[in-house]
Amino acid sequence: MAMHRITFTLNGARERVEVPSNQTLLQLLRERLALTGTKNGCTAGECGACTVLWNGEPVNSCLVLAVECDGTEVVTVEGLAHDRQLDPVQTALLEAGGVQCGFCTPGVLLSARALLDRNPRPSDYEIRDALTGNLCRCTGYLRIIEAVKAAARAAEPA
Amino acid sequence: MLKTKPAADGHTPVGDSVPRLDAHDKVTGAAQFADDIQFGPGLLQARILRSPHAHALIKRLDVSRALALPGVKAIVTGEQTPGYIGLYLQDRHIFCRDRVRYIGDPVAGVAAVDEATAEQAVDLIEVEYEPLPAVFDPVEGTRPDAPLLHPDLGQYEAVNFIFPKPGSNISNHFKIRRGDVAGAWAQCAAVVEREYRVPHIQHVPIEPHVAVAKWDDKDKITLWASSQSPFAQRNLIAKALHLSQSQIQVIAPYVGGGFGAKAGVSMEALAVVIAGAVKGRPVKLRLTREEEFFTTFVRQGLVARFKVGCDQDGRLQALENTYYWDAGAYTEYGVNMTRAGGYSGTGPYDVPNVKVDSICVYTNHPVGGPMRGFGMPELHSGLEQAMDDLAHAVGVDPVEFRRRNCIRGGDIVATGMTMHPTGLPECIEKAAAAINWGHKSSPSAPNKRRGKGMAIMWKAPAMPPNAGSSARVQLNEDGTVMVSLGGQEIGQGTFTVMAQMAAAALGVPYDWVKVAGPIDTDSSPYEWQTVASRLTWSMGNAVSAAARDARRQILEMVAKAWKESPDDLDIVDGQVISYKSEEACSLKDLVIYGLPNPDGDGWIGGPVLGRGSFMPTYVTGLDPETGQGPRAVVHYTTGAQAVEIEVDLDTGKVEVLRAVAAFDVGKAINPDMVRAQMEGGLVQGISTAFFESLQLKNGRVLNPSFVDYRIATAADAPPQLEAIIVEVPQDDGPWGARGIGEHSMVPTIPAIANALYDAVGIRLEAPPFTAEKVYLAMRAAGVVQ
Amino acid sequence: MLTAHPGLPEFDYIKPTTLPEASQFLAEHAGEARPFLGGTDTFVRLRDGAWKDKYLVDVKHLDGMQTLAFDPAAGLTVGAAVNMNRVIAAPEVQAHYPLLAEAAHTVASYQLRTRATLVGNACNASPAGDTVGAGLVLNAELLIFGVDGGRRAPLATFFRGPGKTTLRPGDIVTAIHYPLPPAGHAGRYLKLGRNALGDLAIVGVTALGYRDPAAPSGYRFRLALASVAPMPLRPVQAEALLSDQPLSEAGLQAAAEAAAAAATPIDDVRGGAEYRRLMVRNLTRQALRDVWQRLG
Repeated sequence: MAMHRITFTLNGARERVEVPSNQTLLQLLRERLALTGTKNGCTAGECGACTVLWNGEPVNSCLVLAVECDGTEVVTVEGLAHDRQLDPVQTALLEAGGVQCGFCTPGVLLSARALLDRNPRPSDYEIRDALTGNLCRCTGYLRIIEAVKAAARAAEPA
Repeated sequence: MLKTKPAADGHTPVGDSVPRLDAHDKVTGAAQFADDIQFGPGLLQARILRSPHAHALIKRLDVSRALALPGVKAIVTGEQTPGYIGLYLQDRHIFCRDRVRYIGDPVAGVAAVDEATAEQAVDLIEVEYEPLPAVFDPVEGTRPDAPLLHPDLGQYEAVNFIFPKPGSNISNHFKIRRGDVAGAWAQCAAVVEREYRVPHIQHVPIEPHVAVAKWDDKDKITLWASSQSPFAQRNLIAKALHLSQSQIQVIAPYVGGGFGAKAGVSMEALAVVIAGAVKGRPVKLRLTREEEFFTTFVRQGLVARFKVGCDQDGRLQALENTYYWDAGAYTEYGVNMTRAGGYSGTGPYDVPNVKVDSICVYTNHPVGGPMRGFGMPELHSGLEQAMDDLAHAVGVDPVEFRRRNCIRGGDIVATGMTMHPTGLPECIEKAAAAINWGHKSSPSAPNKRRGKGMAIMWKAPAMPPNAGSSARVQLNEDGTVMVSLGGQEIGQGTFTVMAQMAAAALGVPYDWVKVAGPIDTDSSPYEWQTVASRLTWSMGNAVSAAARDARRQILEMVAKAWKESPDDLDIVDGQVISYKSEEACSLKDLVIYGLPNPDGDGWIGGPVLGRGSFMPTYVTGLDPETGQGPRAVVHYTTGAQAVEIEVDLDTGKVEVLRAVAAFDVGKAINPDMVRAQMEGGLVQGISTAFFESLQLKNGRVLNPSFVDYRIATAADAPPQLEAIIVEVPQDDGPWGARGIGEHSMVPTIPAIANALYDAVGIRLEAPPFTAEKVYLAMRAAGVVQ
Repeated sequence: MLTAHPGLPEFDYIKPTTLPEASQFLAEHAGEARPFLGGTDTFVRLRDGAWKDKYLVDVKHLDGMQTLAFDPAAGLTVGAAVNMNRVIAAPEVQAHYPLLAEAAHTVASYQLRTRATLVGNACNASPAGDTVGAGLVLNAELLIFGVDGGRRAPLATFFRGPGKTTLRPGDIVTAIHYPLPPAGHAGRYLKLGRNALGDLAIVGVTALGYRDPAAPSGYRFRLALASVAPMPLRPVQAEALLSDQPLSEAGLQAAAEAAAAAATPIDDVRGGAEYRRLMVRNLTRQALRDVWQRLG
């Protein structure tokens, strides 16, 4: 199987790796780069646990080939906080009690971050719509939805 | 009962909604789950060859071609696993030997350099099967002429409260005989007879099962797993492999959702056996989502027949219920669900005449295992609809009916136990008030109908009578506290609650307490399993005992140093203070190095190490023919849910507009997290009510993926959900606390079913209440065209 | 194999630099190579073992693939690699093709739509394709580059059966073109899934209507049905009823019945045939009401 040398930006730093054709971005992150915050829940693009930001847009990393990432930018949950400062969606989720087992949490956070980036004041419906691809079995979603609202409010000028 | 002393700022760690201990690591991606542990390039990967037949004999098995594939390191089969494994009934081999009993039954395991190679090898293993007639319905499975799944049932080892019927497919039959049921029907003004079914569902933790095992050359085994039950896994695997428990070390980091699927032993033993063939190398077995749906535990199916009767005042007179559990190919865990369904088989009602039969039936379906609620969501699902029907039949409002008949403190329950004080009546009142019971609101559109429904529930921790907990409380040089325990953090927040209890019992601020993780059977204190909503209560008792033990050691040390009585001393906010001399000393100055001896040279005290353990000693056996005994269970958590729904007459789609949950938790150690359990459980209940079923055809699951096994998404959660805490203290619980983890999904299906009846007058035989079933039922009833 | 593979099987990822090069490679490796866009279905089928291609040919970067262009005289052209989120958010689409945005918005989840494309949805040839109905009622055409050069193929005659199209070895669909919709049109896509959002369609009904003085009723309607036949379906008899007789509630009902009669649904894990047929009726009636109301 063909190998491909790729260069991409991962959480702000340049990465240069050689990847086989059939390796997914999810496998590259977890198994090669040991960046295990991104979770594997179904390998079929259905559960959203592997959601990362790819050129700023959320995507199921199990449905992206690593080789397709050449020249692109990837942000994972590990790249959300900056200078030990949590992203407002991280703080809000923590404070709203929207975390239980935590396995869906990384994907939820990246979907939420992307939503607020494109729509800083989403409605309840828009939040639910944006999170439809992130399955959570513990929380019942309501605290996650509240957290996104809180993060949106926190970003508004006082 | 423990009392909580407020700290100087008025805060008490118990009863305060402190933030979760694990939340920070979980929002940064730092929290480690089993599949995240790095093993380096020596790690081998395993895949499993599974039976394509629901029931067959293995006539020939040839692994030679597979073994010759480059990259394959070992292949194991049933030949390596002569022993039996099981929690309550040892009825399964780790790998099948002569017979397969469900589609997915493990036949062989391959260890290879990577998953793809292991998968290729699996395809090269040759197996010849002789298909056998199969059982796909539990009622048919009880017939004398039904194909027999376990001819050796009589030889299996079972605990002494399980009663298999050798020569049949019945692996347990629990009975209650109380009063005169046959005579009571004549006194009833109304009698309702119904049959309801509950389909198999799956737990759907977002983290699939994963286990990594390694054997060293002296047969010391290490197992890293996503596990609710590190100690039970150590015990059961050791027994099955004829090893000593101390030869196995189970290390279990955070669990990405369990709901029972990761209790007991399911796929973990496969990894251990495979690793035994490649000693020295770690072997990982990771289930795909598709495998997750039918090769670990699923929730058992149920066929339930109800007969309930009441007098003209709506007082329950008699109940005769029969539960046929579709327990699957192996019932090593399922037999106790049957038992729990039996002793709690009346639901939370005071009924004088009771006959309950709860029958565990082997079928050629996936293996039934524990799932959140342990039989209670299944049996309440139909029972609470039958009670609603009975209320209507006798002309009593369904809430009033429940008010009149619900179990109360001092009542004698059907097993003969005296009910402890319970807040069920209060839960009913609060849920009814919150849903504005008795008032019908207008639909949002002309083609919609609204309805309200309520259901109540009870559930006891179901476990062996002597399931224990233990804990250690250590203090560090800086005065902070490390709690060691063996119960698992599976998302319910137990580490946080244990830290709160330790802080409160010891007298330190909550944020001084840490919980040692991951759980490691070599270093963590023993805990039976993280199941049955038992940790807050059982492990809580152990942790608070350990904290009190540490506190006692500290106070005795200081009393000696200060020449005072321990009774005059206290620990508040991490300081030892004397109410008599008004002296004070910070914990950090004494918990490791002790204190100077006031009478001269030397020191007193030393490192403080508190220990605590708890085991209920008061649960009694029950008569096998009548189910009678003084104390069947430790206690019952009770509660009520009410919903308001809207039905779309054009599609049959049902939307939950408002949901209310009220549960008596005894004492909410962390009220916000209690509410979070009520919310999450209710939405999981909604998910099972509308979407979930393993569609089984001739033993094959037709929908083993998220594409066709749908669960609730963010868009399906109700717009309004209110969680109400009721607190009637439990005498054997820490600070009066009872569990709440499972209970919150028990009454959801029937609450919705009752609302559906209220809205459009239909009853469906079984969940899920898909739009299709609702529409076709409305059409049959003439509600729509 | 009882269940899907844990990972993707082996294949070689090919990234040609020009359309002719890509087309030639695909033609030379007929049966063992396929072009891929977002991979949302491709990867799943490879994991399932349903597809066993040796080569996946990435065509997303080739000429015109990333273009979304609106020409007020000719209509909308969406490059094969333009993802659905971009389609939904595009002002040109929202202004002139709101039906397309509405339909695309019902596909799976936001993060899946980062990968999913309109062309992929068409080439997948699933009877459940949510955006195919909009394409049918908008008279869309596919722009295809093949070994013999470029050609255009109407979407209406593109499907040959479930998963089957008229594409030949070496063909690459480069874009989908939507002619200008009728002036003053209104459209609606009603999708019935199991969940509130995000599911596949148990039934999907696309309706488009516009005023036409030449029609006896003064209106013309186009309808398309998803998940109720082996291929996406235009119930032409229902459409005829709506243009031939004065519009009324009873007329809508009759058209809805005709649509239901045109459907040939099956029983599967998502729903039964009887229910699907009833839902074609009810959703068609609702979609027609909505469209009629908007037309005024």
